[in-house]
Amino acid sequence: MIAPVPAPATRGDPVDPGDPAEGVVQPGAWPLVAADEPEPWPRADRPEPSFAHASEAEMARILDFYRVRWEYEPHTFPILWNLDGAVVESFAPDFWLPDLGLYLEMTTLRQKLVRKKNRKLRRVLELYPDLRVKLFYARDFRALMLKFGRLALVEELSGASGHLGPDRGPEAADALSSVAAASDMTAGDDTPGDIA
Amino acid sequence: MTDRIDLEADIGEVLVTEDQIRTKVAELGARIGADYADRRLTLVSVLKGSLPFMADLMRTIPVPVRIDLMEVSSYGGSSTESSGLVRILKDLSASIEGEDVLIVEDIIDTGLTLNYLLRYLRGKNPKSLRICTLLDKPARRLVDIAVDYVGFTIPDQFVVGYGLDYREYYRNLRFVGVLRPEVYTSGD
Repeated sequence: MIAPVPAPATRGDPVDPGDPAEGVVQPGAWPLVAADEPEPWPRADRPEPSFAHASEAEMARILDFYRVRWEYEPHTFPILWNLDGAVVESFAPDFWLPDLGLYLEMTTLRQKLVRKKNRKLRRVLELYPDLRVKLFYARDFRALMLKFGRLALVEELSGASGHLGPDRGPEAADALSSVAAASDMTAGDDTPGDIA
Repeated sequence: MTDRIDLEADIGEVLVTEDQIRTKVAELGARIGADYADRRLTLVSVLKGSLPFMADLMRTIPVPVRIDLMEVSSYGGSSTESSGLVRILKDLSASIEGEDVLIVEDIIDTGLTLNYLLRYLRGKNPKSLRICTLLDKPARRLVDIAVDYVGFTIPDQFVVGYGLDYREYYRNLRFVGVLRPEVYTSGD
């Protein structure tokens, strides 16, 4: 038997975009759009967050293109505490896709840093088993670029060359990632070893 | 990419043979026919990749069907400009309100296009809306979508043929094959 079409999924409550007069706009704060009415898409109304890596900016553009709502690093999950109860390590996935109930973590750097991120992800899922997190590896990003005919951009959008910001160039990333790789006691997911 | 296209030499491995496709399409058609027995069905093909699959599948479904075609823009597909939004390049030619509708896809990987299409088609108020794909590549999935009819679940490789393209070519292959990496890496 063929099941009837379920009612279009609701988008939930609209996100308060803050007071424009004060220039306070939450990242990913989209006006409510009915699920069955894709138009219009208010991308131009929202400032782009400061992405740590070019691959993240590209992923944001892809999600925008396909009208998938996202928020950039909105939540941080503590994964390690010291004896005093202070958080000494945490995990902040790059994207939260509220309509899909999915976190997306981009990791396009070197293998040793991927291992570190895999370890973090395992720990997160032990502590927060209900979370849905997809780790997007370099090979996944490359495949995505190939699918969209943008393979030529992979090198500049991934790895160390994709770092964004004045103090996050390849040299800084190399130096800091060595530090991060040498110690698991990082302050959170904003350490350079985790920014791509 | 090299300028020269060699339909045989550019394929590293045949993933699904012509015979396997023919057998699977017949199986899918029979299943769909049983599920929609005594009903009418509208098949919606998503251009361009699903065209061969649609043409073969529709002839194996033993219930009254009508067909329609849609085309959806792809990210980065029209130019090097990466901004913009997905849009319908070709819309349905007839209403599907109150109809049983089956989306016919060539391949589902990220699910991004299909997610958009499902939202769009649900807004047209069909009686039912289901999905049939020849190929499913779950390793690439970003959007979890329940797929009702799957021909083949394939590994995470770049495939062409039987409608699937690389830069618009290779669609006319009668099988599904893995494109040699040097085809899309050389000269890029």
